[in-house]
Amino acid sequence: MLLMTASQIRGLPVVTVQGGEDVAEVRDVIYSPEAGRLVGVTLNKRGFLAGRSRDVLPAEAIHAIGQDAVMVLDESSLVTPEDAPEDVGHPATERNVLEDDILTEGGASLGKVADLVLLVGSSGEVVGYQIEKPGGERGYIPLPAQLSVSGVALVVPNMTEEFVQDDLVGLGGAVDEFRTRLGLT
Amino acid sequence: MDAIGWLILVVIVLVVVAVAFVIIRRKRRGGGVIATKDKG
Amino acid sequence: MSESFRSSAGRKVVSRSSARELGSVSHLLVDARQRRIAAVVIGRGKKAQLVDWTQLSGFGPDAVMVGDESALRPPSDDRERAAAAGKLELVGKRALSEQGNELGELDDVTFDAGTGVLEELLIGTRRVHAGSVLGSGSYAVVLGESQDHSP
Repeated sequence: MLLMTASQIRGLPVVTVQGGEDVAEVRDVIYSPEAGRLVGVTLNKRGFLAGRSRDVLPAEAIHAIGQDAVMVLDESSLVTPEDAPEDVGHPATERNVLEDDILTEGGASLGKVADLVLLVGSSGEVVGYQIEKPGGERGYIPLPAQLSVSGVALVVPNMTEEFVQDDLVGLGGAVDEFRTRLGLT
Repeated sequence: MDAIGWLILVVIVLVVVAVAFVIIRRKRRGGGVIATKDKG
Repeated sequence: MSESFRSSAGRKVVSRSSARELGSVSHLLVDARQRRIAAVVIGRGKKAQLVDWTQLSGFGPDAVMVGDESALRPPSDDRERAAAAGKLELVGKRALSEQGNELGELDDVTFDAGTGVLEELLIGTRRVHAGSVLGSGSYAVVLGESQDHSP
């Protein structure tokens, strides 16, 4: 199990365990803010200037995500949009959260969304967001961070401001404490 | 134009082509982090 | 008797029935599921030919003996064509764990010269039992869980 950001996962080759072939590359990372998990990825074809692939990869069909590849059992794990869950087959591309302004309920900006942080192993749990603070430094806020999310903004509880971490090491502990404070555990 | 002039021109063209490739690749690769629609 | 892919590359291939030299070993095609050598690729490019392991009378330290010249055949499917083109060559292939982490580059593979069964994979200083091979192709050889010691 390891922590990876969505930008580390994007661009990884999708490799079949049985075939040893790189059948595609990760394009979009699609996650559920509510469930706090990865629901799937869209794909690019392999090749320097290659573009979008029609097929998608739902999270259930992912065998493992590692630092160098996303593993699937075989090519049948890649499905057409019609055979995939709606969120994966037809992702709401206008809800791309990168660069989203992070606003507290009280109206203060904590910065912008720089990345998503996931705990990968055999499943993909979303642990938090990597943010770019107003001053330009990097920080991390734990999930469940958002009350609502759109393609332009993330609204978070006021309390989130106290939980901004400087590095990933602090994020794990912050997640548990944050959830306790929110009354979720 | 002298030899140096041609050399500089070639280098500039190569740099422009390389940058063009990088831009085209970035556009074709696309990609982002997409939140699913909230229920209800 | 143990053999290795690296040391057998370039070894001459001789017909047992005619004593004629038919070429030399360029690649060894592996059946990943059974973890054994399926065929020997002789020669390169368009003229490359395959001999099934079962058609060999012996894989010796100085020569690979083919029962009869007629056992040589052109590649018959995409996988064999890829093997003939060297795309499936294990030596130098990326070793990837089934968790998706790179373990290094495959330096060599040892096998039993009598049966063609793979024995060990050499990755850097590590020796990995061939039994952990889950699959192999043009991009990588995929090794099972027990080989991945990444965090």
